[in-house]
Amino acid sequence: MSTKGRVMRKRLCIVVHPLFVLLLASISLADTLEEVSQRGTLRWGGDASGGGPYIFQGADNQLTGFEYELAQYLAAELGVRSEYVNWEWEMLPQILDRGSIDVVLNGYEWSEEREQLWSSTIPYYIYKLQLMARIDDDSIRTWEDLRTEQGQPRKRVGVLQGSAAERYVESRFGEAVELKKYPEVTSVMGLVEQGQLDATVQDVPIAIHYGREFPGLRGVGQPEAPGYYVAFVRAHDEPLRLRLNEAISNGLADGTLRRIYEKYGVWNNDQERLAEVAQNWPPVVAAAPSRWANLPHYTRLLLLAAWTTVKLSFLSMPLAMSLGLMVAIGRLYGPFWVRWPLEAYVELIRGTPLLLQLFVIYYVLPQLTGVSIPEFWAGVLGLAINYSAYEAENYRAGLLAIPRGQMEAALSLGMSTTTALRRVVVPQAVRIVIPPVTNDFIALFKDTSVCSMIAVTELTGMYRFLFQSHPRLMLEFGLLTALLYLAMSYPLSLMARRMETRFKRIAV
Amino acid sequence: MIEVRRLVKNHGLLRVLDGVSLSVRRGEVAAVIGPSGGGKSTLLRCINGLENFQEGEVQVDEVRLSPSGARREMGESLRALRRRVGMVFQQFHLFPHMSVLENVISGPLYVLRRSRDELEVEAQQLLTRVGLADKLAARPEQLSGGQQQRVAIARALAMKPEAILFDEPTSALDPRMAAEVISVITDLAKSGQTMIVVTHAMGFARSVSHTIHVMHGGRVAESGTAQQIFEEPREEVTRSFLAQTRAN
Repeated sequence: MSTKGRVMRKRLCIVVHPLFVLLLASISLADTLEEVSQRGTLRWGGDASGGGPYIFQGADNQLTGFEYELAQYLAAELGVRSEYVNWEWEMLPQILDRGSIDVVLNGYEWSEEREQLWSSTIPYYIYKLQLMARIDDDSIRTWEDLRTEQGQPRKRVGVLQGSAAERYVESRFGEAVELKKYPEVTSVMGLVEQGQLDATVQDVPIAIHYGREFPGLRGVGQPEAPGYYVAFVRAHDEPLRLRLNEAISNGLADGTLRRIYEKYGVWNNDQERLAEVAQNWPPVVAAAPSRWANLPHYTRLLLLAAWTTVKLSFLSMPLAMSLGLMVAIGRLYGPFWVRWPLEAYVELIRGTPLLLQLFVIYYVLPQLTGVSIPEFWAGVLGLAINYSAYEAENYRAGLLAIPRGQMEAALSLGMSTTTALRRVVVPQAVRIVIPPVTNDFIALFKDTSVCSMIAVTELTGMYRFLFQSHPRLMLEFGLLTALLYLAMSYPLSLMARRMETRFKRIAV
Repeated sequence: MIEVRRLVKNHGLLRVLDGVSLSVRRGEVAAVIGPSGGGKSTLLRCINGLENFQEGEVQVDEVRLSPSGARREMGESLRALRRRVGMVFQQFHLFPHMSVLENVISGPLYVLRRSRDELEVEAQQLLTRVGLADKLAARPEQLSGGQQQRVAIARALAMKPEAILFDEPTSALDPRMAAEVISVITDLAKSGQTMIVVTHAMGFARSVSHTIHVMHGGRVAESGTAQQIFEEPREEVTRSFLAQTRAN
């Protein structure tokens, strides 16, 4: 159960997090610039996992990337050493508030929402969005080709979860395309190359850097929708912000930034505008709307995602139970050449993480077989297979708990072993294991959150998405999400208790 | 109709049956008595194929069971045999998830695939016969031990077996409940039902059976009519066993 434990802990940590963050944010008000010079290091946060050309492991396994070098340059300008802190990308602003780092510098686009919570430096890079499709796919030649005629299947467009690309495609195309969100960049490109997706929209640096690894892809049309990468400091760290602005301006003026960017192939004419943009920075931000203004809308989104969670669990659990029952019967009553492969199956499935199994089903299987499964069904299948191993063990224990006399009495009436199992032994075993199976159902129900890693937007996935785009409401979203989970799992517990009492009088 | 020939069964190193031969004619009631551990129950379980054996043969009409090894191919003949030979266990083994009625019709319903309506009428008659007509809808756990055993008898009868094997049918019951069961079995015997009864209840064995077999150490030590066995036992084994049961 170790994998389950881990997954659940992760979810828990995401839900609990906002409480701490808000609490701690109000405490750390000391002057960070002073702290930085006393400490002698500038702590900056980024996420190196799949992060080329921003921050990534180079050929010699050393960290490198244009932002990595930029940070080193900035630290040097401040007269301190650069200290890199690696963290999950979407949580970087949260650890900034917690005081673990001084600045977030990792492809963070400027947005009003973010400016309301943190202070941005002047932009250090102007990015655009690049549409990419397969070389041999003639149906996509311009951005507008993403819209299909009515009746035609919609184009499937993959984006990085929480990215500017996601917001742009959503606002420009809305329901006209099938938008799929992934936690990682390169896998999306792979999915387009394999044909599971029709196109992807990526920040230009990403398209440049990883395009080489996917020769089956090409850029479509001109890059669009410019935006600004900025570094964020805590809201009240004005001295640090000004000092960083100064350093960026100097680097722009003396060509240092250009040198760094050219080294990674990401310099282009757009960057000429950086100095001009810096003059009126930051843009004026409208007063924050009331916290509650959009809550009904978000609640609706969370409810829709909760419905996906319900569908995932209620489709996968019956599958897991039937599969598990068959495995258990095969292990107990089958011939030896059925027994040991089944035993191997149970051990293999129980001994590997659900997430890994989902990745195999969703990413690896299509490469091997050429048959791809839509992400929702891949999720259902993955959960069903994973839990079938646990259910097999439950049912095995249940079957073993039925006295031998039951089987003998059935056989002595002339029943075949199969009939005896079906009519006499299994119905009793199934009743005995109702409590453990229900417990597993509740666990599965929460494990559905892992499906957000293969682009199924279930409740936890939606929560992550919402708090990334509206970090201000992290606490509200967290509470809402927790409430929704509770509202779904509590009836399950009640149902389980009722079934238990109902079957207790029948149990042997 | 039931022929057991030189049956040998080993439990590991222990020889449980050591060349048992026995024959039961149609309509005959045979009782098997003898000290515990003599192989009585094992013999019964071999006759309807719940246990395999190493040597010898069991034959019920034209259906034959031979020693282990070949048993896999015998699945069909095993079932054919069990359809003819019912069994009643010491611990009843009613199906706890079914009502009394469902227990009784479970054999013909799932094995012979007969229609439920027809079977329910028959089951009602059978339950009347064992004195439980009012317990149709009850669950096994709501019944006393004696009632459960009578349901088990009705369940075996529902298959219309040619013979019924009783494996210590009253050993798990207190005397009053045992009496109910004995009276049902006695009625059955009078109606001409072929049966083999393994029992420790000597009075019952004596009154119900035409033939008595005394088993000891995995062999049939002595066979004879009830009167002969109880009044003029020929073998020392029989004499000491009977003396012991009387002393108790």
